[in-house]
Amino acid sequence: MSAQRLAEQFETLEKQDHAARLGMWMFLGSETLLFGALFAVYAYYRGMYPSEFVQALHHNSVALGTTNTVVLITSSFTVALGVHFVREGKTRLTAALFALSTLFGGVFLVVKGIEYAHHIHENALPGGMYSFVEQPPAGVVLGITLYWFMTALHGLHVIAGMIMLAAVAVLCLKGRYGTHRFVAVENVGLYWHLVDVVWIFLWPLFYLTD
Amino acid sequence: MISAHVTTPKLIGSWIALLVLTFLSFGTSRLGLGEVELLIALSISVAKTLIVLFIFMHLVEQRFANRLIVILTFLFIALLVSLTVADPLTRKTFPPRPDPAAHPYP
Repeated sequence: MSAQRLAEQFETLEKQDHAARLGMWMFLGSETLLFGALFAVYAYYRGMYPSEFVQALHHNSVALGTTNTVVLITSSFTVALGVHFVREGKTRLTAALFALSTLFGGVFLVVKGIEYAHHIHENALPGGMYSFVEQPPAGVVLGITLYWFMTALHGLHVIAGMIMLAAVAVLCLKGRYGTHRFVAVENVGLYWHLVDVVWIFLWPLFYLTD
Repeated sequence: MISAHVTTPKLIGSWIALLVLTFLSFGTSRLGLGEVELLIALSISVAKTLIVLFIFMHLVEQRFANRLIVILTFLFIALLVSLTVADPLTRKTFPPRPDPAAHPYP
């Protein structure tokens, strides 16, 4: 079984698995730099308009943001448990934990959707669509625009992560993964943890501002 | 196969630590300390990230090549953010921000 999955360009399975892990870490590094550029933009404009940023982000719901932080951290925990159990060959448990994590991702998106609905209702929209405050100072609009862009980009990553978690859960049940093959499960887990880490930074920047 | 340093009790401990740090961060943000709050909140975020990286993402048991990528990513972002933010924070001789009257909104 394990000899079959050795690709011809690798000498040993260990090297093949290391290459897969290294590739995933490099991908995650480039993803982090994508968000890093946005964090730099945030730092620049917050340095330029400190009080306007606080004003713009003041009416974000701290309760909903904190709920989402707890949900994502818990989903990261269940994914980490799933990766732990697939190494021990308990694939049904892994499938259940990954399905649970997908569910947590769904809860996160629902809460985020409730927030977005509030913002749309109040016309706290990005760029020229903004009309929550009459004649807003320029920094307020920049703050709201960055909020929408960064949380929506993060939301897309949540959706991508949920699709991968669900796919791996199904493949675990079908017996594709187990003690003989689990690097793909680990890598999907790594992606989900990255989504969690990005939110760990988005949360204080967009919710704990006042 | 990789020797598993990350055990179930460690995972549970990390999860609890992450939750505790989250509420610590939330608590300090309610104190009204001003600018220092952001610094404290981001420091707590870095601590949480280290827990996720080393325990949840198993960095503790992986080869140095993988850790090197994390270190380099962190350095690049630190460089990018600090040099970018140095501009608006150190403006002394010309206006710190565009004049809204010169470019009426929107």
